[in-house]
Amino acid sequence: MKNQIIVSLVAVSAAFITGCGTDAHYVETGGNRNIVSVGQINIQDYIQAADTMTGELLASGALGRVKNPPAILAISRIVNNTGNQIDTDLLIKKIRVALLQSGKAVTTTTFGLGGQSEDPLAKQMQQTTHPADFSLSGKIIQLNAGAGDTKQATYSFQLSLTDTQGLAVWEGEKEITKQGTRGGIGF
Amino acid sequence: MLAAALAVAGCHNSMNSVQNAQQVGQRTMISDQRVISDTGLARKVGVVGINTVTTPGGFLKVQAELLNQTGSLQTFNYRFEWFDLNGMQISDSASAAVAAEINGGESKFISAVAPTEAAKDFRLKLILGK
Repeated sequence: MKNQIIVSLVAVSAAFITGCGTDAHYVETGGNRNIVSVGQINIQDYIQAADTMTGELLASGALGRVKNPPAILAISRIVNNTGNQIDTDLLIKKIRVALLQSGKAVTTTTFGLGGQSEDPLAKQMQQTTHPADFSLSGKIIQLNAGAGDTKQATYSFQLSLTDTQGLAVWEGEKEITKQGTRGGIGF
Repeated sequence: MLAAALAVAGCHNSMNSVQNAQQVGQRTMISDQRVISDTGLARKVGVVGINTVTTPGGFLKVQAELLNQTGSLQTFNYRFEWFDLNGMQISDSASAAVAAEINGGESKFISAVAPTEAAKDFRLKLILGK
């Protein structure tokens, strides 16, 4: 009898720890139930900035003005001027994927800033070199403001597409402003 | 009295506007199909009309004119979805619900560019914000 009680208690405890002790759940990435933080860039901000700027870049037709389409893109420096440590690939990778899917541009992974390649093995395997048509550089800036308990942060995502003559043939900027007294869920 | 006036002024967020009478640009308006499950939302963020254009890069660009028929500021989210010739939705890795605001009585344009040249149709989703 005593053993049965102990076994039951262990089973109930295990169920509580594994199942009932958490309210973790999935939400759609970029959806309107994502957490909104004033003090940091959220995933929906990266998605929105990438979406807007990719659309503007594709609409401009700048990538189509190359001799041998699709245009070859090299990724240059993306400066982080925010107060947070961020991985700029959260922005740039989304743009790269979207541009590749558009059929208008491919990104070189064997040629990068300072002669470093993103994929060293691909660099060793490379049999023919394709000079890049464009370099993509940018900056992410954070501007804070506050009044009383209300905090506001504006994140400015800036990108420049530079051709082989050193001319910025396309430039894009997307600003996202968030305001609140603390983090919340939804827009 | 002053507090009440301030409260009224603070909540009421309407807008007046002016534009040139002889509009030079001609919008190519398209006929649309609407599914309205929230009539309140349709009044707060109503779709007046939609026009499209093909960009220099060959991509479909869609612009929607929205109208807030209420007298107060409304926040909403919108998202464009894209479909190919076969009606299949085009996976768009860089697509998020965009947060936006519209003042009372304001007419506002939102637009988006298709992610590929294969995108021929679209759907605009509007969700009321908090």
